[in-house]
Amino acid sequence: MKKVLALVLALAMMLAATSALADIVICQNKVEITAAMQDYAKLYTEKTGVDVKVITGGGSSDYNTVLKAEMQSGREPDIWVIEGPAGYELWKDKIADQTGAEWTQYTAAAYMDGDKVVGFPVAVEGYGLAYNKNILDKAGIDPATLTNFDALKAAFEKLDSMKEELGLDMVVSMVAGTTTGMTWVTGLHNFNVYLTVGNERNDTTYIDQVLEGKVDEERFHQYCQYVALLFQYSTQDMLLNGTQDSQLAAFANGKAAFYHQGNWMDPSLVQLNPDFEIAYAPHAFLHEDTDGILVNPPSWYVVNENGNKDEAIAYLNYLATSEDGADYMVNKAAMVPAFTNVTLAPTTPLSKSVMEWNAAGKTYDWQQYKLPDGFGMGTLGQIYELFAAQAIDVDTFETMMKDAIAGIAK
Amino acid sequence: MTSKQRRKLTEFLFLLPTLLAFVMVIIIPFIYGIFYSFTDWQGTGTFSKMVGLENYKAIFNEPAFLHSFLKTLEFTVINIITVNVVAFIISLLVTSEIRGRNVYRAGFFVPNLIGGIVLGLIWQFIFSNILPAVGSAIGWDLISKSLISNKDTVMFTMVTVNTWQYAGYIMLIYVAAIQSISKSVMEAAEVDGAKYWTRITRIQIPLMANAFTISLFLTLTNSFKMYDVNVALTNGGPVGIFMNKPVNSSELLALNIYQTAFKYNNMAQGQAKAVLFFVVLTIFSIIQVSYNKSKEVEA
Repeated sequence: MKKVLALVLALAMMLAATSALADIVICQNKVEITAAMQDYAKLYTEKTGVDVKVITGGGSSDYNTVLKAEMQSGREPDIWVIEGPAGYELWKDKIADQTGAEWTQYTAAAYMDGDKVVGFPVAVEGYGLAYNKNILDKAGIDPATLTNFDALKAAFEKLDSMKEELGLDMVVSMVAGTTTGMTWVTGLHNFNVYLTVGNERNDTTYIDQVLEGKVDEERFHQYCQYVALLFQYSTQDMLLNGTQDSQLAAFANGKAAFYHQGNWMDPSLVQLNPDFEIAYAPHAFLHEDTDGILVNPPSWYVVNENGNKDEAIAYLNYLATSEDGADYMVNKAAMVPAFTNVTLAPTTPLSKSVMEWNAAGKTYDWQQYKLPDGFGMGTLGQIYELFAAQAIDVDTFETMMKDAIAGIAK
Repeated sequence: MTSKQRRKLTEFLFLLPTLLAFVMVIIIPFIYGIFYSFTDWQGTGTFSKMVGLENYKAIFNEPAFLHSFLKTLEFTVINIITVNVVAFIISLLVTSEIRGRNVYRAGFFVPNLIGGIVLGLIWQFIFSNILPAVGSAIGWDLISKSLISNKDTVMFTMVTVNTWQYAGYIMLIYVAAIQSISKSVMEAAEVDGAKYWTRITRIQIPLMANAFTISLFLTLTNSFKMYDVNVALTNGGPVGIFMNKPVNSSELLALNIYQTAFKYNNMAQGQAKAVLFFVVLTIFSIIQVSYNKSKEVEA
């Protein structure tokens, strides 16, 4: 009898690890807002009694890996983040239809599958060339004129010649290293400049070409010249060894005039108390004027069909419609909400600039997420790094990029 | 039921929980893994079709994988030598009459208690921030740039970190072996006029051959499967060129497999690489163990 008892005990111990963690489990990808999100989750628990747990993967770790591990763990998240069609296709079978949920009436940026509303826009995000207005003023450069390649080139040259006077280490703070896990800046965000700048939103000409393994020769050639320009006026050390933190620090401490990042860096930027005015200039890589920055909802919350579906939708409704939710999105997480009912305006510099460009209607689309998994960060990222390390020249860079793109079609 | 049968049953029941766990987390996933390597599985839900040997064929046309394979061999060879040489030397040190040898024993072992990810990040900071700062202060060009972002020195950084971490563990095995050699043998040799060096090479090393079998096996498999330090220290970077394609110059096999599966979301292909990895590692291990076994002697 004792033997049987011992066996039962042993089995019970093995099964004990599978009990539930919380009422709602959220798996998300924005490291920089983890603390704000956890505070908001606590607040939500206080108000409603619903227990919320937040799991984060992202930044230098890979969100999709974390998500897959969570999915395999047997306790699937109730809410998680998709970053576009690739994520949607992957998890389609598990994603709930949220059509008719209260939040859907306040936004035009929901993720749709035909007529079905399936994704809650986490925020609107934008990126361009953030600039330090003090430095540009001192150098006598009007940021409003930086709308084409030649103007940018002239500005970079001028700043570079005045480096010592202005206390600059580099003109552009930019990163491209595999070691530091920053290839998404080059392989995804910078590459998207080629894909959409100058086009109407939803114009998919260039991404469609790329997915067929082709590029527009003239436009691509010009894009490569632009990458060369950015790299030339950054430093090799920053490009190869720069982390998200050191890239930001160079800009926030006035050691770089431009900063190649988006408004998601605001929470970290504000902590460093920059004492100058900041706004975005366009990634104007063409000789023609292109006056706009790159703005899109970067990701959407989706709800698990098999999880605590009603609780999860209630959580999202509260986020979009309550004052607590607005306060969290705008003030705590420093995001630009995608909801028309939210009247709070962001106070942080990068988000404020994104909101202004967005309100002026001067935006270009994001289409980098339509690239195959790993292609931007991995395959293209490697080539950008080779170029940054000066292992190849700009012509070889152009050829290798084209070869890699041709490889997609195979 | 005879008492013998009863005994057998008891033994089996004691074994059962462990056996169950082993089958569930090792054997079944392993079989699944082999199966999935013949499909086009994407990591979620079910696969759409069997693709036969396609995944295996694709591996051999991939410069990045061949490059990782060669780098892994290079890393393994260098690492086996450095770990074992360092471990053997410090084991001689801590078994000698030196003052404070117990402190040394503990001290050399401590790095092994730190997780590989933490260790990788700490050393990344040392190689990318501290050393360059020191290097530019004293004007030594070699270290004034990060050793990690230079593809010629990145292997050196990985070997350094792994040796620092792992030599203390292997040292323990050598210490145990040295202590198990009977004092009388060593004294007899000393009386016969054998010098220190001769005693080590002619008596200690042959008598502790079984420790070498174990240590070489552990360092071989450990180096071959190197993942945590690789991902945290270098993340496979910097990028180099191999067979005219850009490749991650310090990406070892385990990391390459992981990237194939998770970054490129090519689960079945990653699984095929993992099966190949298993076969190669098994062959190397068997060769190494049988060779070392033949060298073992009794006192």
